[in-house]
Amino acid sequence: MNYEIVCGIETHIELATKTKIFCGCTTEFGGEPNTHCCPVCTGQPGSLPILNQKVVEYAIKAGLALNCKINTKSHMDRKNYVYPDLPKAYQISQYDEPLCEKGYIELDSGKRIGITRIHIEEDAGKLIHESGLTYIDYNRSGVPLIEIVSEPDISSAEEAKEYAEKLQLIMRYIGISDCKMQEGSMRCDVNLSLRKPGDPRFGVRTEIKNINSLSFIQKAVMAEAERQADILDAGGTVVQQTMRYDEGTNSVTPMRDKENSDDYRYFPDPDILRFCVDDKKVEEIRESLPELPFDKLKRYMNVLGLSEATAKQIFRYRMVAEFFEDTLAEGASVKNTANLIVVTIFSNMDTEEEKELFAIRISAAQFAALVKLADEKKINIGVAQSTLQKMLESGKPVEEFIKPEDLVGISDEALESLCKEAIDANPEAAANVRNGKDKAINVMFGYIMKKTGGKADIRKAEVLLRKLIRQ
Amino acid sequence: MFVSSGDLTAAAVRKGVRIMAISKTEIEKLAKLAKLSFTDEELERFTAEFDEIIAFADTVNQSIEGGTEQIRSVDARMVSFDDLRPDEVVPSLPNDKILSNVEGYNGFFKVERSKK
Amino acid sequence: MRAGIYELAIRLRNREISAVELTKAYIDAIEKLNPAINAYVYLTFDTALKAAEQADQMLKEGDAPLLCGIPMALKDNICTDGIATTCCSKILKDFKPYYDAAVWEKLKAQGAVLLGKTNMDEFAMGSTSETSCYGAPLNPRNTNYVTGGSSGGSAAAVCANLAVYSLGSDTGGSIRQPASFCGVVGLKPTYGAVSRYGLIAYGSSLDQIGPLANSVKDAAIVFDAIKGGDKRDQTSVDYDYGSSLAECLDRDIKGMRIGVAEEFFEGINTEIKSKIEKAIKLFENNGAVIENIRLPALKLALPVYYIIACAEASSNLGRYDGIRYGYRTSSYTGIEDMIVRTRSEGFGDEVKRRIMLGTYVLSSGYYDAYYKKACLIREEINREFDAVFENCDVLVAPTAPNTAFPLNHKGDSPVEMYLSDICTVPVNIAGVPAISVPCGEDSRGLPIGMQIIGRRFGEATVLQAAHFYEQSAGKVIGDYEGGAGI
Repeated sequence: MNYEIVCGIETHIELATKTKIFCGCTTEFGGEPNTHCCPVCTGQPGSLPILNQKVVEYAIKAGLALNCKINTKSHMDRKNYVYPDLPKAYQISQYDEPLCEKGYIELDSGKRIGITRIHIEEDAGKLIHESGLTYIDYNRSGVPLIEIVSEPDISSAEEAKEYAEKLQLIMRYIGISDCKMQEGSMRCDVNLSLRKPGDPRFGVRTEIKNINSLSFIQKAVMAEAERQADILDAGGTVVQQTMRYDEGTNSVTPMRDKENSDDYRYFPDPDILRFCVDDKKVEEIRESLPELPFDKLKRYMNVLGLSEATAKQIFRYRMVAEFFEDTLAEGASVKNTANLIVVTIFSNMDTEEEKELFAIRISAAQFAALVKLADEKKINIGVAQSTLQKMLESGKPVEEFIKPEDLVGISDEALESLCKEAIDANPEAAANVRNGKDKAINVMFGYIMKKTGGKADIRKAEVLLRKLIRQ
Repeated sequence: MFVSSGDLTAAAVRKGVRIMAISKTEIEKLAKLAKLSFTDEELERFTAEFDEIIAFADTVNQSIEGGTEQIRSVDARMVSFDDLRPDEVVPSLPNDKILSNVEGYNGFFKVERSKK
Repeated sequence: MRAGIYELAIRLRNREISAVELTKAYIDAIEKLNPAINAYVYLTFDTALKAAEQADQMLKEGDAPLLCGIPMALKDNICTDGIATTCCSKILKDFKPYYDAAVWEKLKAQGAVLLGKTNMDEFAMGSTSETSCYGAPLNPRNTNYVTGGSSGGSAAAVCANLAVYSLGSDTGGSIRQPASFCGVVGLKPTYGAVSRYGLIAYGSSLDQIGPLANSVKDAAIVFDAIKGGDKRDQTSVDYDYGSSLAECLDRDIKGMRIGVAEEFFEGINTEIKSKIEKAIKLFENNGAVIENIRLPALKLALPVYYIIACAEASSNLGRYDGIRYGYRTSSYTGIEDMIVRTRSEGFGDEVKRRIMLGTYVLSSGYYDAYYKKACLIREEINREFDAVFENCDVLVAPTAPNTAFPLNHKGDSPVEMYLSDICTVPVNIAGVPAISVPCGEDSRGLPIGMQIIGRRFGEATVLQAAHFYEQSAGKVIGDYEGGAGI
């Protein structure tokens, strides 16, 4: 039988603040165990949490980027459950007054996936189980997270993947997280149920926890939808439970039940005052947002006239887009800048991460100086590419590779005298051209290119040569 | 749908109906949440005491009828965004301080998963 | 007559006595009396003597703060770096914090000399200090009676002159009630006036640290020294009290409007009632205006208090799981089992009872009926107090409905014991300041306390009224003979 997938995604994203959410300890990754810790993040008796301003700011940025309504008044709640990685036996989170509500992400199809809420909370520590012992490291305890909860608007595995992909791109763009799924700075929980098409009621749903790659999201949704369909087809009922996706076997299996009950006894944390972010501040934060990725993509295509393929390659990476735009700001042309980035610079970057980081040795101004030579036809595109490669390898400016005299050599006057020279040096070929043997002009092209080291504009030279031969 | 007696009690309490006796099962459920265990004898005593304590707390429930939509008062103290803690790193404490009240292992807190 | 902080400070500066000599006198007294009274559960004589030497140095250099070289005590729920802080609970056995509470940091910087940590009800939950895992402290005025609680050891230490002053904490009366039972002065400041950083939490929205002392002036001096906002406690407030409160106690009370609410006198022992009425008369005869006022929501204050305090406690005490500090059970079958056993063996009955009540009122299905309604009533109580303080400068009430209980007085049930907090909890719910001053003795010679309650951050007026009463009423309770004799 055919079923309709009803799917929602909860995404936890680690915020790239310098300090933890409730204390001044660093959020830096790694470090020896329990060395990024203090009384607050290890839950020592008598310690008190102090909310980090940046966490609120970043969460609001996320909310604005996802078209959310920002609650100007908000507070923190305690979510009570006992587990060794949770040093206070409660997680400070937000329950009934989240910072952001009611937003959406638009898919390529134009369909909008609703965002129910975004709230801030703290991460737990890390447990390592080894030969009868459990070791605990609280370095991650108190690292700030936002949880982004979607509406159950997702109805296919592809949509699930696209939603997560877009979310990741937007969050990276606004600079609040690196969203590395493998390292756990972005983790997705997928809620999924099936129903007969047209049925307004929801089926029993399961939750697949902690999926750590975009393609696994797609695969997990497919695997779980199949699993549930098999159960329903056989006349069975789906059990509401927490599942785990195993990428090795591409299957979804129930997780061993944590002995914790899910009665979290939320209540407002009495140690943390309710806080307000006035409209003025929200506007300030809105203005601090960069142009959002999908607005940028549209602009690259519609205003700058880039092809969809090129525009998509550049807008995906915030650093690349910035470099591109900085180069344009220096007066370089859209077309040459885009092509040189996509062809030459990207050929030096094999992985997504390299493009994400975009660590290159030349500045946008240096790059623009090169592009402009090509724009002004002072060098041809092949030379531009090879020179750029040398610049990237050495980190040296364009002047190191193209001397002023090289450029002077192919000024209009210089080119004209070169053409005369070429004709004088090859009288036979010139005569052939005059007599209609057009191919003979190549002899003179060869002469000119040899003399200029390939820097001459060959189309200009052709016009000049024909004019001179006809005279 | 299956409705436990606990759910019925909760529903009654929500409506402001006073339910006196608390069952041993409910006490056990609370104990599980609170990570406490009681011997049978303690449980008996506790259940009896708890009835009285809840009857005492129930005067609060009885005093307001029906729902409690609004919970936060307008004059609750608030802090403005500008007064939140700036995101500046403060040095963490050395590992030996963090572990000073336990026997750790290589910088980790350590718990045997079972012990006789 | 025992010397107050001010007189001691003068003697120290005149070199009539050194801080070391003063400290030794207290150490001797403690060694002699503490085994019987059990006011202290942990003694810090070595560090006290070192601190006293440093204090003498500070005094020699001149310009030392008022509290420099004065021997004092801290309740066992106030964190002291490297010094055991156990909340008198088995579960925090041997716990040594590696940080100082904000109040202790301040006092230490002023040259205070810490003699030790004082006895208390386990996790400050109780009204007699008998839930302490070290056994109850005894009331120095009559050792057949309790000190009150939960800051019983802090009250007993001051009463028996085993400390010049002490700090306690007050969540529902834990400073004022033992002060009343032991015949000393106890001040619960406005919520937020003193940093809670390093105070091991019981009910976070109610807890407040304050002084227990021999006189209103001493309490004012100590409050001056510990008050102030703290970046590490967001609920603290850097309120501008103007100049030192201890220096403006001598205000005339003529025209002061004193509110008397009949709700505070319902079910109060008649001996206590008549002493308080006598005190009110004294105020009136000296020009104060007595206003009869009503606080109808007060009848719900007690259950509201128990719901909120226990809800917060059930969450605050979740962290005692045997993993990072404190007691860990010796045998278990898994980590979950280890946690359950540790907590069941480590906590006493009253703590368990309150954790269970707190868990109950927050649990799904009951939250709205108990916790949420309690919060609504709390707001109503706050509004009533706000309205009253538009027409009154202070309120006068008994501190407790009874004088000290005999030891091991269990009453009929836990709830009966809860009823003894009836006069003090409304103050914590409203977050306002209040002081307890001795105002007489009952027929058994046990002290009676009068409570003076002020508006938020109205400590100055509260202290002025209390100081006036103390100076005008003459001798209302007998002196305690013994202790350090200084």
